[in-house]
Amino acid sequence: MMNIEFENQLRRIANGMEYPRTPDIVGSVATRLRIPTRSRSILKRWVWSLTIVLFLCSSLMFVPNVRAAIIEFIQIGIVRIFPQPAEPTVEPITTATPETTILATATSGESLQLLIPFLDQIAGETKLASAKELVPYQIMLPSYPGVLGQPQHVYVQDTEGAMTILVWTDPKQPERVTMSLHFIPVGHWAISKFAPVVTQETEVNDQQAVWAVGPYPLFMKDGQLRIERLINGHVLIWADGGLTYRLETDLPLEEAVKSAESLEPIP
Amino acid sequence: MDESSLIQRAINGDGTAWGPLVRAHQEAVFRLSYLLLGDPDDAEDVAQETFLRAWKHLKRFDTTRQLRPWLLRIASNLASNKRRSAGRYISALTRAFRNVPPPPNLEDKSLQRMQANELWQAVQLLNTTDQQIVYLRYFLELSVAETAEVLHVAEGTIKSRLSRALDKLRKIIQRDFSALIEGRET
Repeated sequence: MMNIEFENQLRRIANGMEYPRTPDIVGSVATRLRIPTRSRSILKRWVWSLTIVLFLCSSLMFVPNVRAAIIEFIQIGIVRIFPQPAEPTVEPITTATPETTILATATSGESLQLLIPFLDQIAGETKLASAKELVPYQIMLPSYPGVLGQPQHVYVQDTEGAMTILVWTDPKQPERVTMSLHFIPVGHWAISKFAPVVTQETEVNDQQAVWAVGPYPLFMKDGQLRIERLINGHVLIWADGGLTYRLETDLPLEEAVKSAESLEPIP
Repeated sequence: MDESSLIQRAINGDGTAWGPLVRAHQEAVFRLSYLLLGDPDDAEDVAQETFLRAWKHLKRFDTTRQLRPWLLRIASNLASNKRRSAGRYISALTRAFRNVPPPPNLEDKSLQRMQANELWQAVQLLNTTDQQIVYLRYFLELSVAETAEVLHVAEGTIKSRLSRALDKLRKIIQRDFSALIEGRET
């Protein structure tokens, strides 16, 4: 197709774009232009409040327990994880290996069913072959478990670096995700993993890794960013060669580590 | 009153002249911000900030040029900064916890809107610079000259960048959104 024909087609399709109603910016701009002095006084108040808060926080750092609670976190690649304190209802993790250390366990009271998004709402769906061309790093597939094969869904999302998400579903229940694997590049803005409920230290290829439960930000097709879990299970997070990997699975820890260590470049 | 007189009055500090100029360009500014950010609240923030910044720096504006490309350039820069900011991440988290449902317009499955939405998704797979150029040329229907002013580069550069962006977009559409080109033309 010639460029002119393609351009005309783009113009025609783009013309059908439905935008949200343009808000009345005139009023809000005029209001904000009229109150410069009040803005300055608000700003001054904020600066004072912030100074007081910073002073209080600095004081708290002199209390050993508080300091330990504030500064202790686990950094895996670009992901920073703050272990949660154990709840009274803690149940031991039976899948832990002798080498691993249980940091904290707890159960979340939320309905896990609600956290499972519809896969067709996630933005950036593409094919594996296309994803290979779109990202500057090597996409790898786990060779364990052997039945896994190629992912049924592949997404590439622009997060100040192309993040790839591979999703495997249950052949008998295509709505049920059995495993997902994120490839998160350096520069990704979600530097903090959001509120993991369970964390446990382990290793993948002799490198530090964590075993956690928690959601992660995903861009949806409607432009919204949602914090989602794809699976009612755990997530294994490790870093290697400038990439951070996030394997979400309902497999036990040993199986997940085995799967993580089985990653191989796509032939 | 024509735009250049309003601009001149605004440069001289007449705040009442700024209102009609905001009204004339707010839609284009808001839409570009929305296309780049994908969120109406973020787009409104950027649109407001665009007109506040423009007012603040109006004395620097070259009155021999058109206002719209200058405003779109400010909006485009602000939107790019916002995409990177932690603030957007936090506001997204807040929205997630407010459990805001998707905008109702997305439920509308009319063919034209579906196609436009698919095209938008395809464009989102381009890098930010290519996205800007495609949005300006085909979604906001700016001329090559206006697009060049927005992006602050020569017209020749726009043409070559556009050609490259179209090649990439065509490949993405052929691979992942082939129905956009094939079966829906009738």
